[in-house]
Amino acid sequence: MSHSSPPPRSETEHVPATGLVARAAALVSERPTIALSGTLVILVIVTGIIEPNYLAVSGVRNTLLQAAPLGILAGAQTILMLTGGIDLSVTMVATASAYVAANQSPSGAAVAILLGVVVGLVVGSANGVGVAVFRVNPLIMTLAMSGILLGLFTAWAQTILKGSTQVGPFIKLIGAGSFLGNRIPYSVVVWAVIAAALIWLLRRTGWGRLLYAIGDNEIAVRLAGVRVWQVRITAYIAAGVLGSIGGILLGGRTGAVDLQLANAFLLPSVAAAVIGGTSIFGGVGGYAGTILGALILSVLNSMLTFLNVGQAIQQVVYGAIVLALAWGYAGLTRRA
Amino acid sequence: MISAVRSAGAVVWSRGLARHSWTVGVWLLLSVLLVWYATLIPVFGQFQVTSISKNSLPLVYLAIGQAIIVIAGGIDLSLGGLLLLSNALAARFMEDQPFAMVLLVALLLIAGLALLNALVGYVISISGVPDIVVTLATGYIWSGIALWVLPSPGGGTAPEFRWLFTGAESGIGGTYVMPILMMLVPALVVFFLSRQTRIGLAIYAIGSDDTAARLAGLDVRRAKMASYAIGGALAALAGLATVALTGTGDPRFSVGANATLNSVAAVVLGGIALVGGTGLVLGAVAAGVILIMLNPILSAMGIDPNNAQIIQGLLIAGVMMVGGLVTLLRERSA
Repeated sequence: MSHSSPPPRSETEHVPATGLVARAAALVSERPTIALSGTLVILVIVTGIIEPNYLAVSGVRNTLLQAAPLGILAGAQTILMLTGGIDLSVTMVATASAYVAANQSPSGAAVAILLGVVVGLVVGSANGVGVAVFRVNPLIMTLAMSGILLGLFTAWAQTILKGSTQVGPFIKLIGAGSFLGNRIPYSVVVWAVIAAALIWLLRRTGWGRLLYAIGDNEIAVRLAGVRVWQVRITAYIAAGVLGSIGGILLGGRTGAVDLQLANAFLLPSVAAAVIGGTSIFGGVGGYAGTILGALILSVLNSMLTFLNVGQAIQQVVYGAIVLALAWGYAGLTRRA
Repeated sequence: MISAVRSAGAVVWSRGLARHSWTVGVWLLLSVLLVWYATLIPVFGQFQVTSISKNSLPLVYLAIGQAIIVIAGGIDLSLGGLLLLSNALAARFMEDQPFAMVLLVALLLIAGLALLNALVGYVISISGVPDIVVTLATGYIWSGIALWVLPSPGGGTAPEFRWLFTGAESGIGGTYVMPILMMLVPALVVFFLSRQTRIGLAIYAIGSDDTAARLAGLDVRRAKMASYAIGGALAALAGLATVALTGTGDPRFSVGANATLNSVAAVVLGGIALVGGTGLVLGAVAAGVILIMLNPILSAMGIDPNNAQIIQGLLIAGVMMVGGLVTLLRERSA
């Protein structure tokens, strides 16, 4: 992956803001989240036109129920992409955590959730050690980990994890339930708490700044005296835990778990972070954009479902829109 | 890190070996595995060699394509999608056709997908969007079109076409001459293209440092498009090999996604760093065969398929860890 850096352009160079349009364009390129929010609003309205019932409470609720796990998994990708990494095992971690949580549901919700999160901790640590200490390429490390997990859990599903594949009532409640007259899903509350924590961690703490710094220039950070490998390991652990939480919510949403539970979320979790403006090369981005990315993809998914066009056209439209958004974003932020 | 081993002097050769130690190592690993496999099973003969070589064709093709793109500094997550597209189109339009027509379809597909992927390379080049993002999106598009062309597994091809890739008109049994020929010819063509031609040198150069390449007067965009075109052609071949192997088309999304990830694994295992500009296409060929060979080896050892998957993952991670450590130690000592 080459860093095709554009020729250096002085930041003071101003686009002459002659008219309202030019000024608006300058503002949007300054704050790409505005463009993303605009895209989201347009998508919601278009979906509302296609299916008038969508704008009623239940339609939006369904989209949010899908967006919450996606947003949390995309959070894992955001943290890692900021350091120049990626986690292709995040959906397998999610599936495995949900599986463990479902299996331990008879021993109570607290134990089930705790053991589920332990899966993320262990896998995240292993990924972190592989990438940070042994310098395995993150794509390969997490891809191999994903295969290992699939094998382990396929085998364990018939042995030590034999038993319940139904999640307990509490997990079902936070994954699928909602309050305030069925308006706001509990999973969105979980997501909001995580989002607030992530944004705070990335913007206000030394750890967050180190993530950006490592993604920007690892050698400089190491020369400045930072133990880069430790920061990387903690980033992978955080990603693993986020994967677990996302998976448990997903398990709660569907009620029953299987080993394909989170599979379909892998590429969207990367796409949500990318659409939100987080660079895959590290150092640039943030979680606020990822939230919008996850919402956009979820609304898009609802829209395509309502259109009832069949899976083939859905995939084509999905790919085309992801490409168009990424292209538009690159064009906007490059300030042609 | 561009080397050209042209003269046959011993010094040049030993230097070339040292520089490409990883590629040599992967081929050694493949030989060791082959010998080990031969001792594991009671009869090792034509059947086993044929089966390994024909079953590794699709992954080897994708690995070659991915290798050339990665060497040029990119990465193509849509190769699996292109494989599905080629597989679906081939199965759809080759069914009940005479051999000449089937060959025409095959050639059209190779040329068409090469053009299509060159266009993707062009889009990456002008948009400034990272390769991984553009190809992630186009991967969805290609697999969507594949599903539209062939809504459910089906279709077919001519028996002669199956012979071309598998050495048997029924796709079962046969001799190993055809599969090995079909593996080595494209591999060697792309290898020589990458090491001995202008465009190959340009591909290594832009992967090594695209700014330096541009300043040196190279047409960076053309080299990038060339690498994607080669990748597209190889993905088309992989789809054709799949239709020849199975006799049908299978447009499932997960098939393509797995194929893409395996091609990346083969490239990295083959000693081609994802930063670009280094490694040899031939390394990816050996790595692709190794990845396919692990399954029969592990099942010959009496390990059940689930555990085989775990061991495969551990092996990939383990090889990369050892490689990482070796690089680290070399850097320390240098």
